[in-house]
Amino acid sequence: MRAFLAGARVQLRFMVAYPDSLIPFFTAPLFTIVFMLVFKHAGRQDLTAYAAIAPVFIALWWLALFNSGWTITTERWNGTLEMLVAAPSSFGAVIFGRIAATTAVGTLSFFEAWIVARLIFGATVTIHHWGAFVLTAFATLAAMAGTAVGMAALFVLARNAVTFSNSASYPFYVLGGILVPVSLLPHWVRPLSAVVFLSWSADLLRATLDAAPIHDFWPHLGMVVLLGACGYAVGLAALRVILVRVRGSGELSTT
Amino acid sequence: MEAGVAVDIRELERVYTPRKREPVVALDSVSLTIPTGEVHGMLGPNGAGKTTLVKILSTVLLPTSGTAHVLGHDVVEETRAVRPLIGIVFGGERGLYTRLTARQNLEYWGALYRLSSAAIRQRSAALLERVGLVDRADQRVEEFSRGMKQRLHLARGLMGDARVLFLDEPTTGMDPIAGREFRGLIAELKDEGRTILLTTHDMVEAESVCDRVTLIDRGRVLATETPRSLGTLISRFQRIDVAGADGALLAEVAALPGVSSATPQADGSTRIEVSEEGATAVVLRRLVDGGVTDLQTSLPSLEEVYVQTIGERGLGV
Repeated sequence: MRAFLAGARVQLRFMVAYPDSLIPFFTAPLFTIVFMLVFKHAGRQDLTAYAAIAPVFIALWWLALFNSGWTITTERWNGTLEMLVAAPSSFGAVIFGRIAATTAVGTLSFFEAWIVARLIFGATVTIHHWGAFVLTAFATLAAMAGTAVGMAALFVLARNAVTFSNSASYPFYVLGGILVPVSLLPHWVRPLSAVVFLSWSADLLRATLDAAPIHDFWPHLGMVVLLGACGYAVGLAALRVILVRVRGSGELSTT
Repeated sequence: MEAGVAVDIRELERVYTPRKREPVVALDSVSLTIPTGEVHGMLGPNGAGKTTLVKILSTVLLPTSGTAHVLGHDVVEETRAVRPLIGIVFGGERGLYTRLTARQNLEYWGALYRLSSAAIRQRSAALLERVGLVDRADQRVEEFSRGMKQRLHLARGLMGDARVLFLDEPTTGMDPIAGREFRGLIAELKDEGRTILLTTHDMVEAESVCDRVTLIDRGRVLATETPRSLGTLISRFQRIDVAGADGALLAEVAALPGVSSATPQADGSTRIEVSEEGATAVVLRRLVDGGVTDLQTSLPSLEEVYVQTIGERGLGV
């Protein structure tokens, strides 16, 4: 827990020190405008929830993924990666703390997107199921951080993790159905979507904005938690294996 | 494992196998024992294997074969036991978070060494004072000079209250005054009972702070001695500087058994070098009998030992 908190605390300091890591807070309102315009001109105001939720997911996922790659890369650039691995605290817990802090701050994009929707398009985003919303949002953040730890394990192997993490975000936007519903994707893609926690949490969050009762809330939430936990567990295991491997190959500090 | 042994290395070998290139032997059958509380210097040219050795002892690199123990714990199998006991200071500009302040850097590493919040505050303040950075504690590291960064490196390495410190060329970039203060700091750390493995290129540093020095080259240990006896090793081998001796006497001395050379110096004196134990006494007796009173014996400096042992290979590594 101490390693997690140490990682979270230092990440908050990094976010102040590196304002460029906050880019999603600039892009979230712009994405909101684009999506709202598209739906408005298509006469699909019923899809406002999609337009309001998608920019938030893009911001959160980008923050989680980019920071997991950025963390590994900058630790290498700083020459601190080896010392971090050699410290008594769990490397995985530190990374988890850092990414969790990033995604927690990323929730501000909820407010950004919804304020833009309200001010520019007069669209009101109403949360009809507050309890479900908070639980889903919390589970989503944890799942994002957990999955990003798994990605960080891969980034330890990559020479330029930032480039990899940038490009790795887009497939998840599609598979997660964060703007285009999974039901509109080709049939063969849907099984893949089912194992991406984003698809479950995006559906749930949109449902909390709908006045209708949420069907199968707990099983859906369970899937978000389960997939996030699996991502974290697999990530930690992979991290252990990969760290042993790079300790053997001498590539831990390779930039 | 013997009591009082901080670092025990047996037949350690590390081979790097780069893709599409020949394997490189970085360490070749290295054996070394460092007692608790010793300041041990590791002296060698670039590529000698010093940093590889430090990385293995720091648990971030696996040896190809052989064993290494720190305070009785295997650095391969018992990383969890080893890590709280060691502090690492890699030299150079890297190794710090430059956009954080000095204090924030130390606080972070303190947390990673599982110190309590109160201990982190107390220890970071004490270390900043100790390395002379207390006035710059809340300044970003990117604004620091290289010497200041090196001092912060050392403070960072001490945050965990390490019993064994690995200092990999820690005075790189320090000015002479900072270097002298650093050497004083090493002496203080030794007085506290810490064991220090110091890799360096600086002969003066090795000579002044190390209890023993290991010469290493191309991954092999050439010798491990006290700085003084390492000099003796080469110069059984003492040298005698003579002034005021006539040519005939010098020629006679040069012909004595065990004298390897008699070389005129720029100041008019002559340097006589011996290559056998006991030859010095014979030479001195003959010179005094010949009426020479201006003479001086000396051992070679560690730098001369280094150059003679490793060879004057220039920049080649």
